[in-house]
Amino acid sequence: MTVRVWVALFVALALVAAVALVTGPVPVALADVLAGLRGHAGNGAALVVHNIRLPRVALGLVVGAGLAMSGVALQATTRNPLAEPYLLGVSGGAAVGAVVATIAGASHPMAVELAAFAGAGIAVAAVVLVASASGAAAGSPALVMAGVVIGAFANAAILVLLAGAPSAMVRDALWWMMGSLSGADWRTVAWLAVVAIVAAGELLRAGREIDVLSLGDDAAAALGVEVERATRRVFLVAAILAAATVAAAGLVGFVGLVVPAIVRALGARSSREALLGAAVAGAALVVAADIVARVARAPAELPLGAVTALIGVPFFLARMRHAR
Amino acid sequence: MASGLARGIPALMRTRRSTSLPQGYSRHRLSAASAGFIGAAVFVVRAARMARWRQTHAELRVVLAALLCLAACGRGEMGSAVAATVDDFGDSVAAGPAARIVSLNPVATELLVTAGYRDRIVGRTHWDRYPAGADGIPDLGDGMAPNVEVVLGAKPDLVILYASPANRRAADALHSAGARTLAIRTDRIADLRRLASALAAVTGDTAVRGVADSATASVAAVRNLTPLDPAPRVVWHMGDPPLFVAGRGSYMGELIGVAGGVNAFDDLAAPSPQVSIEEVVRRDPDLILAGPKGAARITQNAAWRTVRAVREGRVVVYDTAIVGHPGVRIGEAARHVRNLIAPLAARR
Repeated sequence: MTVRVWVALFVALALVAAVALVTGPVPVALADVLAGLRGHAGNGAALVVHNIRLPRVALGLVVGAGLAMSGVALQATTRNPLAEPYLLGVSGGAAVGAVVATIAGASHPMAVELAAFAGAGIAVAAVVLVASASGAAAGSPALVMAGVVIGAFANAAILVLLAGAPSAMVRDALWWMMGSLSGADWRTVAWLAVVAIVAAGELLRAGREIDVLSLGDDAAAALGVEVERATRRVFLVAAILAAATVAAAGLVGFVGLVVPAIVRALGARSSREALLGAAVAGAALVVAADIVARVARAPAELPLGAVTALIGVPFFLARMRHAR
Repeated sequence: MASGLARGIPALMRTRRSTSLPQGYSRHRLSAASAGFIGAAVFVVRAARMARWRQTHAELRVVLAALLCLAACGRGEMGSAVAATVDDFGDSVAAGPAARIVSLNPVATELLVTAGYRDRIVGRTHWDRYPAGADGIPDLGDGMAPNVEVVLGAKPDLVILYASPANRRAADALHSAGARTLAIRTDRIADLRRLASALAAVTGDTAVRGVADSATASVAAVRNLTPLDPAPRVVWHMGDPPLFVAGRGSYMGELIGVAGGVNAFDDLAAPSPQVSIEEVVRRDPDLILAGPKGAARITQNAAWRTVRAVREGRVVVYDTAIVGHPGVRIGEAARHVRNLIAPLAARR
């Protein structure tokens, strides 16, 4: 990607973050924003910036960056432009965990997040086990197939769980599955950021392996990469990254699918470049989508997952047309 | 004879048409019965002509017997189809005693048990635990899109449903199986009396009306208490995240008004609109009413501290068992909410 593209991406990110901080039902002045950013919140509008908007923007940045990086790694490793984090059983497992916690009436503030993360972790482990059980074909096609199967099983489990649940719980579970940043707080941002930084570091470190894997199994093996082991490691890291974002914000679809394609269209060549570019573009997309989710139908909010698709699809199509 | 019969039938039909229908009478059932009657008569006339009356004497006797039977059956059907009421699905519900009732509407279960008809209920929803004795009734599921076979297995002579689109198919299936259903929406305070009137009209048992009247009078008594001045502006927290609050179209919103408060989200018509915490900040309510879990979340979450009422400790916990739905405890619920919000008004 050229310097101009990088600058444009960062400017877009800074712009949407700034707009997100000043947009909302409570009017805030620039001084309130600055006070909120510094933590000198008081009791007025600056407190709204510090306690509501800032964690929300921060969560959007990490969720967007995490999903997009996860998508880049998975698409490159599986050599499948339609691969996305949710294809690998992560979303289904996380949703089962969240629904179980909701129906069980867990009252701890982080109960749903932890249950969703645990559910996603179990699903990822199951995917790896199922793929390994298939023996010689334990490469990327086996992982994708196992992910689809585990995902279908998880979806069936969700339906069974929700079939007998009270309507309010069904509503809460559905809202969770549609994705939202409305529950953002600093604790969630902090743990997700830790997971995202570690996972991102790991993916960047494995950048060369991802590049080689994207050439095909035979070529990768000829270049000295242990295909199965490398594929599984990248898959695990990408899946954990996606699982963490799902646990924190529910299912925010489309980002992991389309942002990698966008950065490739913007000229990303190596996996590392694509990972970093996708992180910036994904973060900008999710924060922008959250602004729309907050204001489009105020005082109600739209599901974030729907808005990311509504914003991302036209942009994606325009970018594809331009690239051609 | 055939022509005499043919002349007589229109006269009979005129008599039928001129009969005024009782309130709620199902016209389409009458029309169907009439159509059957006409069709049979036409068939008899044609049979008489075609078979040449004298030679088919025996055959016509059979046909006439069939006609008489049809007429009798038709009268019988019309008799049983005399509708007592039209329910919220728009279906006519026939009057008649109900000795085996499946109540898949929690408000109806409360009403019937309180009125002393516990022994007539042969099925309830999973959620019907009030009043005492209700939990001994067989649990037939959650009441939404019920398993029709399970319901029919209880051999009910009346099935009471909550009038939700999710239950429309079940009502149709129960009708097809010959079961009588009464579907009523029970979302607001006034729905309790509406349900009681419908039940009384359908079953002829008027004790339910007395229970509903008594509960509604208790609500009126709370409404007539000394007005709170100034009336506190209240947000009724129903759950978050995402945050759902009581809107104008809700029972909880009504309770706030009855208790002397003002629902801060009364401008939103939806029963439970989804809003942002920032919107609550902007509206700056005097008080937040929340269930035990909601209140715990509000006090633990930093985002809620942006709301002045939360910072100043004006989050009050309501009893979810009392205010859950507009059942026989509506008076108790109104009093409960009044007791929660009145101290605040006194402080101010």
